[in-house]
Amino acid sequence: MSQIVIKDKIPREELMASGHVACPGCGGTLAMRLVLKGLGPKTIVTLPACCWTIISGPFPQTALGVPLLHTAFETAAAAASGIRAALDMQGDKDTTVLGWAGDGGTFDIGLQALSGAAERNEDILYVCYDNEAYMNTGIQRSSATPWGAWTTTTPVGTPKSHPKKDLIAILAAHRIPYAATATVADPVDLIGKVQKAKAIRGTKFVHILAPCPPGWKTSDEETIELARMAVRTRVFPLYEVENGQRWRFTAEHPGDPVEPYIRKQGRFRHLTPEQIRHIQAEVDARWELLKRRVEFSA
Amino acid sequence: MKKVMMGNHAVSWGVRLARAEVIAAYPITPQTQVVEELSEMCATGALKARFIKVESEHSAMAACIGAASTGARTFTATSAQGLALMHEVLHWAAGARLPIVMADINRAMAPGWTVWTDQNDSLSQRDTGWLQIYCESNQEVLDSTVQAFKIAEKVDLPVMIVLDAFYLSHTYEPVDVPDAAEVDAFLPKRVTRYKLDTNDPRSFGALAPPPVYMEMRLRQQEAMEEALRVVDEVDEEWHRRFGRRYGAVESYRTEGAELVLVVSGTIASTARYVVDQLREKGEKVGLVKARLFRPFPTAAMRKALAGVPHVAVLDRNISPGHCGIFAEEIRAALYDLEPASRPAIHGYIIGLGGRDVKPENIIDCVDRTREAARSGKPTPREDVWVGVQP
Amino acid sequence: MAEERTASDIVHGVPPIAVSSTSTLANRTGSWKYIRPVYQDMVAPCNAACPLGTDVEGYMNLLREGKVAEARDLLLRENPMPAVTGRVCDHPCQTHCNRALFDDAVNIHAVERMLGDLEPEVRQPVPARTRKERVAVVGSGPAGLACAYHLARLGYAVSVFEADPEPGGALRYGIPEYRLPRIVLVREIERIRAQGVTLQCDARVGGSLAWKELESYDAIFLASGARVSRPLELAGRSVADVRPGLDFLREVKAGERRTVGRRVVVVGGTDTAVDCARTALRLGAEPVVVCQGTRADLSANAEAIEEAIREGVRFEFQVWPIGVQTSEHPEEEEPLEAIRTMFAEGDGPRARLTGVECVRMRPGEPDPSGARRAVPVQGTNFILPADTLLTALGEEPDLGFLPPEITRKGYVVKVDEYGRTNHPGFFAGGDITGEPRTVAHSLGSGKRAAIGIDRYLRERAGEAVPALETQELRLGGTGNLSITRWRGDDPIRRASPVNEVVPYDQLNMAHFAGVPGKTDRHRSFEERRSSFAEANLGLTTNEALAEARRCFNCGVCNMCELCLIFCPDVAIKRHPSGHGFSLSYKYCKGCGVCVEECPRGAMTMTREGL
Repeated sequence: MSQIVIKDKIPREELMASGHVACPGCGGTLAMRLVLKGLGPKTIVTLPACCWTIISGPFPQTALGVPLLHTAFETAAAAASGIRAALDMQGDKDTTVLGWAGDGGTFDIGLQALSGAAERNEDILYVCYDNEAYMNTGIQRSSATPWGAWTTTTPVGTPKSHPKKDLIAILAAHRIPYAATATVADPVDLIGKVQKAKAIRGTKFVHILAPCPPGWKTSDEETIELARMAVRTRVFPLYEVENGQRWRFTAEHPGDPVEPYIRKQGRFRHLTPEQIRHIQAEVDARWELLKRRVEFSA
Repeated sequence: MKKVMMGNHAVSWGVRLARAEVIAAYPITPQTQVVEELSEMCATGALKARFIKVESEHSAMAACIGAASTGARTFTATSAQGLALMHEVLHWAAGARLPIVMADINRAMAPGWTVWTDQNDSLSQRDTGWLQIYCESNQEVLDSTVQAFKIAEKVDLPVMIVLDAFYLSHTYEPVDVPDAAEVDAFLPKRVTRYKLDTNDPRSFGALAPPPVYMEMRLRQQEAMEEALRVVDEVDEEWHRRFGRRYGAVESYRTEGAELVLVVSGTIASTARYVVDQLREKGEKVGLVKARLFRPFPTAAMRKALAGVPHVAVLDRNISPGHCGIFAEEIRAALYDLEPASRPAIHGYIIGLGGRDVKPENIIDCVDRTREAARSGKPTPREDVWVGVQP
Repeated sequence: MAEERTASDIVHGVPPIAVSSTSTLANRTGSWKYIRPVYQDMVAPCNAACPLGTDVEGYMNLLREGKVAEARDLLLRENPMPAVTGRVCDHPCQTHCNRALFDDAVNIHAVERMLGDLEPEVRQPVPARTRKERVAVVGSGPAGLACAYHLARLGYAVSVFEADPEPGGALRYGIPEYRLPRIVLVREIERIRAQGVTLQCDARVGGSLAWKELESYDAIFLASGARVSRPLELAGRSVADVRPGLDFLREVKAGERRTVGRRVVVVGGTDTAVDCARTALRLGAEPVVVCQGTRADLSANAEAIEEAIREGVRFEFQVWPIGVQTSEHPEEEEPLEAIRTMFAEGDGPRARLTGVECVRMRPGEPDPSGARRAVPVQGTNFILPADTLLTALGEEPDLGFLPPEITRKGYVVKVDEYGRTNHPGFFAGGDITGEPRTVAHSLGSGKRAAIGIDRYLRERAGEAVPALETQELRLGGTGNLSITRWRGDDPIRRASPVNEVVPYDQLNMAHFAGVPGKTDRHRSFEERRSSFAEANLGLTTNEALAEARRCFNCGVCNMCELCLIFCPDVAIKRHPSGHGFSLSYKYCKGCGVCVEECPRGAMTMTREGL
């Protein structure tokens, strides 16, 4: 088959409603839609402060067809643990508890609670939709913001001078049964991972790259293309880690040069060719490390 | 069944009798025996609950919020720094109208580092929307813990049971442990109107814009007002079933008193002793124990103190820049009384950071109050710091 | 507890907590947008490139869905002879196939051939005679048959008159058996006849068929072809000493000739030249093709040249004959029947050809038009040994039978895009007009004339005709006319079709995997050198179906659902009819992800409110 036909692999049930108030072309919103397709209606979501706090609609609305608990910024994993405990006491082992947080709530303020839940191996699925900055508050840098990016707190004169935190490695170090990356550009891979995670008992972590047109200064329609480029350039490789030990790629990574990906994004507009070469070198180095992990565990 | 137990274990027993389903807690001195005992109870199966050993108090409360939102009867315990760390989510629990019960072992706030008691930790959570019940004895701790679940679930508000570090938490007293079946009759399984339920998918705690936020806070306030009635009602039922009651405010030998001491927590026991001594000498001194701090029992407090010429409020706490917090609250509560029946309020700061409050300290307060009364001068607004070095 | 609570939980207008009671569907987020996506089918480049105006993309899509019979029927709407064109067309569709820019062009002609070769499961009903008018067609070559076929399907009574004893014109006599087996042509003509077309052979206009008789028809389509070979000018020799290659081909095909000399020289760069050489090869000769230009300059099909070379044909590029060498006394050891035939018609002595004198050529100085005509290179003359010389310099029509009032343009009849001559009711197509000399163009010109005749007769009868500009009938605005568009009965549902070709850069290649194209199977070269059996075996049905699935379906929605899957606003739903999608503009925020991700350019953004 020439066209990669995916429609038969995407569950048809829609658990996210129209009329949510996400920005046009929001990757994080599509991520929610796809993840819920993978999990189905027996799911309880808890989400801390993040774009989705707004996206899901003001009281008395909800955009989701599953229960949703809003909670404080740093508490997604802890609140999810509490929900899980209550369900366990009710004898409900089928319902998936989904902690759904942005990169700020995961990489930064929520990392302690996430680490705690992961160490306890709570039977939850934690999904970080990563738009690489505090977008809901107006584009401030987080520890998920890539090196060199402009944000309102890393202005062009002093763009972000630290690379993105390697969160999967942190989670893998907790030896949780399952950790994976995914993007909205590959719904089959994303849903497959979510469904795999759903079947595993213990803490599952899925890190989804979710392009953000207003925050990345990109065109609304390019959200999917950017996510795809991120994978092809190895900026955001697709892989999974089982029990913190077995690392495995789940996609092809042709290693396209990063420059076109960088140049598509206004947040990188100020970068010089030399700085882009620096990013390429960083991507290459991380790729080598990841490749060694994969090869070592093969 | 009588058992000799420390105050912390009285908390654990109360939780066990209440059949809490989810416990999430983090250890902190002087609370640790509460969670140790609960861990033991869960391990042996005496208490069928999921105990989440979280990595912080903040997560403890967040987990309680998650569990309570899913319909579970939920408990946690902490002290001082831990409670302060929880501050954000204390608001959340109350605003989400979750009937979470927490034991706070009153410990003073650092720095310098301290593990000893005073009430600043719990009183600085005054405006988070939690009910606060201050206990005097281990029996009261156990009884109040069980009562707290019933009150909380009746008004959909969280309840904090407060007991003094060491003076109660680590002090062994004989405690009558009620029969479990009888407690079950008093406190059936939690039923909730709203919860996270995949058969009725709803969102909880979404953005509340200005047109609705105030109404939600008004409803929370009305629930607090309702709680005043419910605290008494539950206390009465407890009395019917188990023969003990405590009241929101307890008056002790206040008949015809010219001076009434107002205290809370374990100081009440010392104060009872002092009042007994003074009464034996024929002195018209009484005692009011403030048990319920939030919602503030204004009517009960007025009833207890109206017409008493002089009231001495002993605060084991301080609102820096202002005064003792109970004194402040009582002054506000009595302000609207007719001037003829409105007492003069004398404030005393005492026992901070675990400093022992001895009978002579209380007598000192009584003497200073009398002296002030005799002087005929207006009652000073500044509190007297009792027992401090000059 | 719960039961103690009042039935209504709303006080001060709110529940006790911020619990939801409704969904976000109340928010008309569609009002945010200033641009909106629309489904808008466009035209695949293969369709626009096809000289016939075939809906290639359409039948490929039906094949992808497993609808083989429907695919064949769609193809037959425009092309009456897919088994022929699947073999002999030089398929510009494939040259323009967007897939060629990705991996390999779809092997369209092989798929077309497979469809053309299918046995009809159900005999197609003869179209009802809904028109009272009668139309005469002169010539049963591809142009005439195509015109007759389409007119019959439009409800007209059509009579085709053929001067030869058998129908088919150039298809029958001009294309060798190894390229187009006679049986294939016979079946195709049968298919056309089955539409109710009357075929009358041995009917030469001016001969057995009186012009007067023709004039009794309501309209006439002239398609008598081009059969007069252009002569070769050779110094000092009569032109009668060389033989036209076309005659050679006809004789071989008709079984009248089974041998040829050993050293056969063919002059010319046309398809006929290549066919002559390959035919001679099969008769045991060692043919050499002599042509003026380089290989790239040849008008013959490049694939055919390649095939010829691989079979063993020698080409002498940039060479031209300037004279012949003959022997007055034929050598006894080479009494070739072929040579006798060759020169039997000459008036002179029975001279035998022994060689062709040639000179090497080079491009000359550009003329005013910029063309660089070849000029001889002095002193490069040489003798090419030869016992047979065939010419294939192109053919011209014989217009002698036409009434003088019909306007010519050079050697051909002047017509417009509907095949109209200057004379009302007289239409012409194929090789007697300026149409490019390919089977596909001839078939296409017949179809255009059928539309022209239909329009003419309807207008004459005072009926309304479709108010369609020619441009609207042309696939992609520049391709051939679509009779389906003229008839207005397209079985393919199209969403807001736009008559523009989808370029490669409007496709999204991220959604395709590289799959190498399947090329035709061929007989071995050894086998070919001694056999007239069909050289190209095409693809098996399964291979052709697999090839059809390689089609990008450029410009036309094939329900891949990527728009729906990638919509962040859940604003796209499958249409209840099962075909197409409904887009909820009430919620669509106009992000354009659907348009960007559409693999085939079947969606576009338009300004809001338009």
